[in-house]
Amino acid sequence: MTGGRSRPAASPGPALGPQVPPSAEPNSLPAGPPQGALAIVRAVPAAPPIRVSRLEKAFGHRRLLTGVDLDIPSGARLGIIGPAAGGKSVLLKMLCGLVPADGGRIDIGDDEVTAMEEEQLMAVRQRIGMLFQNYALFDFLSVGENVAFPLVRRGVAREQIDQRVRERLRAVGLAGSEEKMPSELSGGMMKRVGIARATVARPDIAIYDEPTAGLDPVTTSKIYDLLRADQEETGCTVIAVSSDVDALVGFADTIAMLHEGAIRHQGPASAVRDASDPVVRQFVRGELEGPL
Amino acid sequence: MSSPRRGAWAAPIETFGATAMQVAREAGGIAILAGRVARCLVPPSMDGRELVRNMYRMGNRSVPIVALTTFFVGGIMVIQAGMYVKQFNAAGLVGWGAGYAIFREIGPVLIALMFSGRVGSNNTAELGTMTVTEQLDGLRALAIDPIRYLIVPRVVAMMVMLFILTVVGDLVAIVGGALFSRLLLGLEYSTFYYSLIDNLNWTDFVHGLVKSAVFGLSIALTSCYFGVSVRGGATGVGRAVNAAVVAAAVSIMLLDFFLTYLLP
Repeated sequence: MTGGRSRPAASPGPALGPQVPPSAEPNSLPAGPPQGALAIVRAVPAAPPIRVSRLEKAFGHRRLLTGVDLDIPSGARLGIIGPAAGGKSVLLKMLCGLVPADGGRIDIGDDEVTAMEEEQLMAVRQRIGMLFQNYALFDFLSVGENVAFPLVRRGVAREQIDQRVRERLRAVGLAGSEEKMPSELSGGMMKRVGIARATVARPDIAIYDEPTAGLDPVTTSKIYDLLRADQEETGCTVIAVSSDVDALVGFADTIAMLHEGAIRHQGPASAVRDASDPVVRQFVRGELEGPL
Repeated sequence: MSSPRRGAWAAPIETFGATAMQVAREAGGIAILAGRVARCLVPPSMDGRELVRNMYRMGNRSVPIVALTTFFVGGIMVIQAGMYVKQFNAAGLVGWGAGYAIFREIGPVLIALMFSGRVGSNNTAELGTMTVTEQLDGLRALAIDPIRYLIVPRVVAMMVMLFILTVVGDLVAIVGGALFSRLLLGLEYSTFYYSLIDNLNWTDFVHGLVKSAVFGLSIALTSCYFGVSVRGGATGVGRAVNAAVVAAAVSIMLLDFFLTYLLP
């Protein structure tokens, strides 16, 4: 795979430490070495590479994944496209061990996710931030509590949590929504809260399942700008699935197409429109005529 | 699928077999859940805020309906006994009869059934909705064990609050019995009171409380199990609530039988 971004060389701290001046993002946490309890969140190794080998998954008689191979370098921005109900969301869930594999393996750094028990997976998941297709906001918690949740569970100091939650909500355009309940939000707003929650702990690996579904084009652009800025700030590895191929191609540096249970194409995002594979080309261009 | 060689006799056997498999699968699932909950409780480890939140909404909010119902249950005991009390001039046994039935059977069973209908079904619907909206996966993705965070506090809260509600309900039923004895049979409060005190002992009261704790555990495990095993969206949640209420009611009656047989 090409186009993977490496972590900035002048990083002042471990993977989750801020690496741009505070002015780059209003009200962001101060730059510099980790301080106080938030150091718990930051003190983890750099974003690990991810390798998926011959991954298989079936539900009943339906073989959804028949041998997925993916190689995702540290700090890459990978976009996964493919026909609906083709197993993209399942693949994302398998990456953090939420869905067990029937065959093949997933390695995140030195951790073989597919061989781990649930308790062992907890340590791996602490390095992952995930946005679910259906948001998965906890409806018994307010917006602010939802976003704060990953930090609260890590024992981060209350003041730092409040500051970080305000900053994340402002970044996704929901400043002042802390007290609202998820049931009071529209689908697009819930999606943005989900993004804020997925990124609040500055994960090593950010997984976004349809991050802009239900959002208008302007908000879509803003969200992808935010995700890009976050990635450049933290150097995390990003894996995003989206039906909005144009926006995803603009965001990712590498595009992989999942088709009929396997990776049909993987290459630079800039070249995907001119892919030699007619299936990929037709899908990306949205043409009616073709093999699909 | 039926084969041409099989006769009509096969259908009921198939149905029985499928039902037996389903019941075994569910009983096994509940047993596994019970084991995982027990593992989290040794040593006790749970989210204190979730525990308090659940105890409040499951227990406090059930007090009015439990009090109202059990108050009239006390009255019903007296009405049923009234005819024989007059016929046999057995006014001295009214308190004992009402107390014995309420403490040992009517109190724990009735309150448990009400608790199952109100709290258990609500719990199944809530967990079921969380399951179909990926909230449980969301917890796991945040490296949080849903059993420890969501299920254990609910199980503990249901056991504790059903126990407390049974104490409250028993006492309110006795008050109701005394009041209706006075109103309907003209019995003095003191007669009712001494009939109760002289003829019952603490084991009658404890017998019912032990039952209530076991019923609470049963309601908690069945409602949580059917909640987290929901499949199929909103329709699946509806089916799960139905199954949880039925399973809880059946388990209450079965457990009541065995506990009545085994307990002093």
